[in-house]
Amino acid sequence: MARGLAHLSDEALVALVARADEEALAELYDRFGRVAYGLALRIVRDPALAEDAVQEGFMAVWRSSARFVSERAKASTWILTLIHRRAVDLVRREQPRRAEPLEAAPHESGDDVEEEAWLRLRRTRVQEALRRLPDKQREALELAYYGGFTQSELADRLGEPLGTIKSRMFTGLASLRELLAEEDLEEERWNEPRSTS
Amino acid sequence: MERAEIHELSAPYALDALDDRELEEFEEHLAHCRECRENVAAFQAAAGELAYDTDAPEPSPVLRNRILTQAASERPTVTAPPPPRRRWALPVAAAAAVAAGCAALALAFWAADLSQQVDDLEAQQHGAEEIAIMLADPDAERIPIDGANGALVVDSETQEGHLLLFGLEEAPEAHTYEAWVIEDGQALPAGLFSGGEDRATVVRLSEPVPAGAVVAVTVEVEGGVDRSEQQPIITSGPAA
Repeated sequence: MARGLAHLSDEALVALVARADEEALAELYDRFGRVAYGLALRIVRDPALAEDAVQEGFMAVWRSSARFVSERAKASTWILTLIHRRAVDLVRREQPRRAEPLEAAPHESGDDVEEEAWLRLRRTRVQEALRRLPDKQREALELAYYGGFTQSELADRLGEPLGTIKSRMFTGLASLRELLAEEDLEEERWNEPRSTS
Repeated sequence: MERAEIHELSAPYALDALDDRELEEFEEHLAHCRECRENVAAFQAAAGELAYDTDAPEPSPVLRNRILTQAASERPTVTAPPPPRRRWALPVAAAAAVAAGCAALALAFWAADLSQQVDDLEAQQHGAEEIAIMLADPDAERIPIDGANGALVVDSETQEGHLLLFGLEEAPEAHTYEAWVIEDGQALPAGLFSGGEDRATVVRLSEPVPAGAVVAVTVEVEGGVDRSEQQPIITSGPAA
């Protein structure tokens, strides 16, 4: 980056984007474009559609960044939420009859080794947490998040009352949150010598 | 939908698993329910982590350019016109009560907007320093206002209050704006000002703004009045 935006936090970049700073948007894309595309592809299962979802998602970032409030959410969460919403909108519009959500499959690595390693770490972390969830909760989260199914569609599909689906989502997300926090704690323990106290 | 039931939608909301009707209903509810907003924030953070369970293949390099080109052709955040002003058709006390109900929820969403507007303002070199000092104050509470763009900023330590108003049109000829601090149904005159299109007005309130008080603005004849018969055009939420 010519202006050296690399040292800025995600939140600071969003604040710059709110001032229509295109370089800041580019930097955000460089940070999250790949995860965003991977997520969109897993949901819409078509490279061209996935690109559309990513483009629309980043345009939503561009247009609504002034409304982002950093006390309420991390910028990364906010961006991925916008991408997810676009991808789900697209898959609902394009494929009224969806099959199973695409399982994430192995692929060839990109050339950025550091990014690759970091992404692998994040992925292992969430996979580990998902694995520790009860099957029914994991199923509800995965079908909703990666499959783009609404709660009512899920209730029909799984032959369960809507209330059951809702509560699986609620408990599932709450547990996921705790599991992720536990993993972070564990990691902190490993990194103890580096921590400042 | 039953009220108790609607609280359960924060998880499906965070997973984007609501249909259009449910979504609309829940977002409306969200604007009034702090508990659900907190749940949604926590759930969205957890759901956001699910995004990382993908191969994250490299997207085509063309995509980056497509996005940046489209962004360059749209620069809405700086050119968007301010929302239309609403005039209160309520007596002071009623208006204050309404404002009190809405204040808590509007504040968080609004904070980011302010910094944007302050930036625009600095370009105009008007009141920038005063505003910067005010906002830098760690004791400063920003309270949303209704009826105009801007905010009430109160130093919770000293109770000193400033009204920041953006793009408020000039008071009609032979008239002035008058600020009021309203507490316990009593309105104390807190300063006169004239406003002016396309610029920011910073009004230093001559009365302290204690916790729970509301600030309102009326239009009065030149010279101002001690007791207003007018309905306020601007009202703030209650001071923290």
